[in-house]
Amino acid sequence: MLPCARTEDLLIEELPNELVVYDRIRHRAHNLNRTAALVWKQCDGKTTVESIGARLRDELEAGMEDRLVWFALDDLGKAGLLRERIEVPENACRLSRRKITGQLALMGGVSLLLPVVISIVAPTPADATSGTRPQRDP
Amino acid sequence: MLWAREIPRFSAARTPDSLARPLAATFLDRITWVDRLAFTAYGLRVVVRVDDPGVLQRLPDYLPHVWKRSASTVANRLYSIFTVSGPKVDGRPDSDQDRKIPGFRTSACHLYRGGRALAHTDSLEKLLDAFESDLRLYVATWALRRVFVHAGVVGWQGRAVLLPGPSGSGKTRLVAALVRAGATYYSDEYAALDEHGRVHPYLKPLFMREEGMARGKRCPVEELDGRSGTKALPAGLIAFTRHSHGVAWKPYPLSPGRAMLGLLANTVPVRRKPEAALAAVRRVCSEALALEGPRGEAEDVARWLLSRVER
Repeated sequence: MLPCARTEDLLIEELPNELVVYDRIRHRAHNLNRTAALVWKQCDGKTTVESIGARLRDELEAGMEDRLVWFALDDLGKAGLLRERIEVPENACRLSRRKITGQLALMGGVSLLLPVVISIVAPTPADATSGTRPQRDP
Repeated sequence: MLWAREIPRFSAARTPDSLARPLAATFLDRITWVDRLAFTAYGLRVVVRVDDPGVLQRLPDYLPHVWKRSASTVANRLYSIFTVSGPKVDGRPDSDQDRKIPGFRTSACHLYRGGRALAHTDSLEKLLDAFESDLRLYVATWALRRVFVHAGVVGWQGRAVLLPGPSGSGKTRLVAALVRAGATYYSDEYAALDEHGRVHPYLKPLFMREEGMARGKRCPVEELDGRSGTKALPAGLIAFTRHSHGVAWKPYPLSPGRAMLGLLANTVPVRRKPEAALAAVRRVCSEALALEGPRGEAEDVARWLLSRVER
C-alpha cells in the first residue's frame, strides 16, 4: 500500500521549515519538522517510499536513507495524519531511532534531518485554565 | 415580575447553558429576587439575580475586566445568588448534584448557574470567588472576537511578554516580579488575543498564593507600585517556564511551530474555535521570540526576560 496523507478535518498552518496541523476530529495538534512535513506532503497515494526518499534527498540536498522516510511514515501514522497506517518493514526498523540519531550525528549535524512529529491533546476549557471546580466548604 | 430568563441561543455565540434545564430552575423561580445586574462582557450577555442588594454592590469587583451594564432581561447565562437558609429553602427536593455539593440545607449563601448548583457556603467571599472563576471560564471559552490563552502577561517597551502555563507553575509570582521591575501589568490569568495576534489587557487583582495560607490573596497591581496596561500590544517574548527551587535559568529557544503547540496547550477555546485559535496563535508566534526552561527565583528571571525584549 502506498502512503496517503489524510486531508479532511485538518487545519494546516505552514511555517518556515515546519508545519502545525490541528485535527478537528481527534482534537490534537501536531508539529511536523521540515523532514516530516516534506514526507507528509509527498504522501499522495501514488508515490512509493523509494520515490519519496529520492525527492527528499533532492529537497534537503543531503544523503539520507529511506529508513528515515519509514520513521516519518510511522510517526505520521501514529499521529493519525495518514489515511491508513503503513506497515513498516522489519528491516527498516532494525536500528532504533536513537542509534540512527547517533549515526547521523557522527556524520556531522545531519541529525537535524531526523523526522520529528510532536503532538499534544488540545485542552478542554477547564483543562486550559484554573480554579474551575465547584467550590465547597471543607 | 420577570427578572431574567435565559435564551437558548444567541446569534454568534451559542452557549450550552440552556440546553438542559434541571429541576432546580423551578425552585429558583419561586424565590423572591429583589435586584439584578445585567451586563455584557466580550459579546456575551449575563444576568445575575440576587435576593440581597448588598451582594450586588460587591459584584463589580468580581466581573471580567471589560463589561458594560445592559437593560436586557434575556441572557446567555443566568446566575442566581441567594443568602437564605433553613426553612426558606425547604420544599425543594435534593438533586443528585446537591448531594455532591454538601451544605445546601445548612449554608447561608448559595450560587446557581442556570438551574445548576455551583456552591453552598457560609462565606460570601468564597461564593463570590466561585462566581468569579465560573464566569471567567465562561467568558474565556465563549468570548467573541478574542482568543483567551491561559498565561500571565506584562508589557515592556511596546511589546507583550507572555508566560503561558498551568495553575501552580508560578505565573503570578513571575508577573509580580516583572511588574516590580518596571513592566506594565496586563494579566496574571489570560492573554486575550485578537485576530491580528495583538495581546489585550485582562486586568484583575493578582491572585497571590502564599505558603501556609488556605486561600490565595487578591493583590491589586497598585500594591506592587505597578501600573496597568490599556493598549493592545504585539507579542515580543513567550516564556514557557515553571518554578523549581534552586534551578538555574538556562532557557532554550523554541521554533515558531513548537511555540504554537505550547500556546495551543493553554488556549481555552481551542476545541470550540480552532481556526481562530490557530490564526491568532500563529501570528503571536511568528513575531515573538519563544523560550522554554525551568526557572529559579522570579526576580532574577524577570530582569533577564526584560533585557531580552529590549534586544
